[in-house]
Amino acid sequence: MQSLILLFPLLSFITIGLFGRRIGDFASGVINAGAGILSFIVALITMLSMKGPEDIVFYKFLPLSNTSVDIGIYIDKLSISTTVTVTFVASVIFVYAIGYMRYLFGNWTFKFFAYFSLFLFSMLLILLGDSLILMFFGWEGVGLASYLLIGYFHEEKFATKASLEAFVMNRIGDWSFILGIIYTFWLFGTLSLPKLFENASYVPGITLATLLLFGGAVGKSGQIPLHTWLPNAMAGPTPVSALLHAATMVAAGVYMVARLYPIFSLSSTTLSYITITGVVTMLFAALVATVHDDIKKIIAFSTMSQLAIMFTALGMGFPTAAMFHLTTHAFFKALLFLAAGAVITGLHHHTQNIFEMGGLKKYMPITFGAFMIGALALSGFPPFAGYFSKDAIVSSIMDKNTLVATLILIASLLTAYYITREAFVVFLGEGHYHEEPHEVEPVMSFPMLILSFLSLMGGFLLWNYFSYMNSPIEAPSSFIAHSIYGIIVAILGISLSYLLYVKKFVDPNTLYELFKPIHTLMKSQFYTEYIYHNIIAKGYLVISRLVYKAVDRIIIDGFVNGVASATSNYGKPISRLQNGKLNYYALYMLYGVVFVFLLLILIFKGGILNG
Amino acid sequence: MLNQIAFYIFGGISIICGLGVVIASNPIYVVLWLLGALIAISGIFFSAGAELLGALQLMVYVVAIAVFYILIITAVPWRKLHKNEQHNRLIGVTVLPFIALLYVEAFIVGISGVSITKNKIIEAIIKNYGNAETIGIKLFSTYFWAFELMSVLLLISMIGAILLGRKEEKTYD
Amino acid sequence: MIEMLLTPHVEQYFILAFILLGIGLFGMMVRKNLITILMSLELALNSVNIAFVGIDKLNHLIEGEIFALFTIALAAAEAAVGLGIIISLFRLRKAENVNEIIDLKG
Repeated sequence: MQSLILLFPLLSFITIGLFGRRIGDFASGVINAGAGILSFIVALITMLSMKGPEDIVFYKFLPLSNTSVDIGIYIDKLSISTTVTVTFVASVIFVYAIGYMRYLFGNWTFKFFAYFSLFLFSMLLILLGDSLILMFFGWEGVGLASYLLIGYFHEEKFATKASLEAFVMNRIGDWSFILGIIYTFWLFGTLSLPKLFENASYVPGITLATLLLFGGAVGKSGQIPLHTWLPNAMAGPTPVSALLHAATMVAAGVYMVARLYPIFSLSSTTLSYITITGVVTMLFAALVATVHDDIKKIIAFSTMSQLAIMFTALGMGFPTAAMFHLTTHAFFKALLFLAAGAVITGLHHHTQNIFEMGGLKKYMPITFGAFMIGALALSGFPPFAGYFSKDAIVSSIMDKNTLVATLILIASLLTAYYITREAFVVFLGEGHYHEEPHEVEPVMSFPMLILSFLSLMGGFLLWNYFSYMNSPIEAPSSFIAHSIYGIIVAILGISLSYLLYVKKFVDPNTLYELFKPIHTLMKSQFYTEYIYHNIIAKGYLVISRLVYKAVDRIIIDGFVNGVASATSNYGKPISRLQNGKLNYYALYMLYGVVFVFLLLILIFKGGILNG
Repeated sequence: MLNQIAFYIFGGISIICGLGVVIASNPIYVVLWLLGALIAISGIFFSAGAELLGALQLMVYVVAIAVFYILIITAVPWRKLHKNEQHNRLIGVTVLPFIALLYVEAFIVGISGVSITKNKIIEAIIKNYGNAETIGIKLFSTYFWAFELMSVLLLISMIGAILLGRKEEKTYD
Repeated sequence: MIEMLLTPHVEQYFILAFILLGIGLFGMMVRKNLITILMSLELALNSVNIAFVGIDKLNHLIEGEIFALFTIALAAAEAAVGLGIIISLFRLRKAENVNEIIDLKG
């Protein structure tokens, strides 16, 4: 029965892939959403009826001499709770996608829904797979789906470049990941997760293995240094950004570290490295997001930043807090993206620059409400969901390492600032439009309402979640007391952006002129994008062209052609022996007979072979 | 003893006629030298006691094949044959050392000895029945299969020769 | 000396066969007219027959003569077909000289 969770999206992918042309785009969308919902229902039933961790093996894939690689599902509290979250968010977004892509129906949009189903199937493989090999299959599968979906508007050069960039950077991470898997297998002798957890004990070399595994998470989740693909991935349609690059795929890195936490926790060096990566990325993304003006890119950077917070929590030793933040983050981040998509749709895809929008509050009230709820949740404003999860992390870390906790608070300040900045600029104020923007249809607003509700109430599940995962958490009263810094920081950020962008306390233009160099520094992502694209990538192309001219053309082709021409040149004189005259042929036969006769004499009578 | 003298005479004739085959210019002369060589070889067979073979040699080679050659030479309208262009002298000079080498090798093999079996059963049978009958006994019992094959071979070559030699009166598209 | 010459030696047939073989081979290579080449070939085949008879004498067998019989038949067949080919070639090319029929060149 549990295999149905995986089976529904797979069947949907095959059905839409094979028959999508005939059944039409709308039906494909319905099948896609239906598969997601069915998977969610089965996952929910499994979670409620689960007794203990179980490993269901379907098929012995590779029976080796002392171990075997199987295909199966591993169900325990971590995997099933994450599966429930992922399938729920995915189903909501699938329903939304039917409305979002409606303007493209008739243009082979069933492909889009097929890719979506493929993505969900691969994501579930990562979550539920019971061996590292299956996790890797799913890893590659989501990478492929991401490539297909980002580059869905394949006629736009920018989109295809972005999808290629995403795939290649992902690949670099995957290279590190597979090396980590191989090393893990070398160290522990098994790839199956339950057996790994049994055998987890310190062996020398585990630091390198876990570092390599974490490299995969860096690539998948867009942490530094493999981060430039994430803002560029916004070239895909908004449901893609919502599902892949906010709620689920980028969260796969966090999930992988949490899943393999028994191994990661054995090496304190790796955990410190994870923390450092998390802190650096968190501050980097938050700073950069304050100066961008594309409605989706700001949210993308905030994703990067929030994932970094999760990695920091993991590095400091609090996997449960990180996973809870992942759950709530999925809700409000998807909500933010869906609202942004609604704005884009409502403006008939004219623009994505927030400074060309304004005053959308009166045209799109539902979207405004949804976006505000999402923004407040992201800022950590009580009693929204983000407040509970983020402050669970901050208060846990505060006792261990004050510096890291302070840095997280600074990042939260910036987060509150930039997300409310976006909200105020887009929805408040005045705007001038050619066509009047309209509210979106119910197919799109209903999912937003569901997610808004969860972003509002979901935080209260904090204590249920922690007790479900058997992790310690402080009582509500001391929790609220410890989180005072978080509340202060959130209020500070919101009021700062309110002053700047609503009340126009200080004229933004003079502020801009004052801080222009810093602005350029941050807008270009601290020049990382420039370095990656122009220096590393272009330099590699230049070197390869050079090698092509020097080595490939001259040496290798010269060698191959040289062999051919040498054969031809040496063959010509010899071919003149064949002059067509019968006498000469008889002569050659005589030569042959004499020679063979000589050999026979030497062998049999002279004893040449005997030495 | 008489056998030996006969052998020497016939052997000498055959060698001289062989040289004539190689050296003569006019093809008709070449046929005549060949005829002489064949008759001499037949004589060698007779002197060695292979009477059936000698008779067959005369009948097949001398009568049939040599006459066939003469027929072809005279019946087909060749061009005028030039006397001096009948030999490739360059090759002749090149090939002599190799034939000498062949002789040297044969000599080496001959020097090192050949095997001789001791039993003389066959000679008793030949004394009893005569050469031809002995060959007949062997041919039709042990080597019957080869005999039939040779007949088929001759049949095929006959058909082939007829096909090759006929004149094409129509042209085929 | 005369004694030695008059007693039969075992190898005499072989020596004769080799001499005739050498002459025949030499003729095959030197001559230009196709028909004369075939005639030298007949000479060489006959030398082989002499060798067979020699083996007969040496090993007290009779199979040598039988095989010589086959060789005669074979030579007859080959002469027929060979001359047929020469006639066809002549009809096609109007040439009987080996130097002019060089289609196998290259």
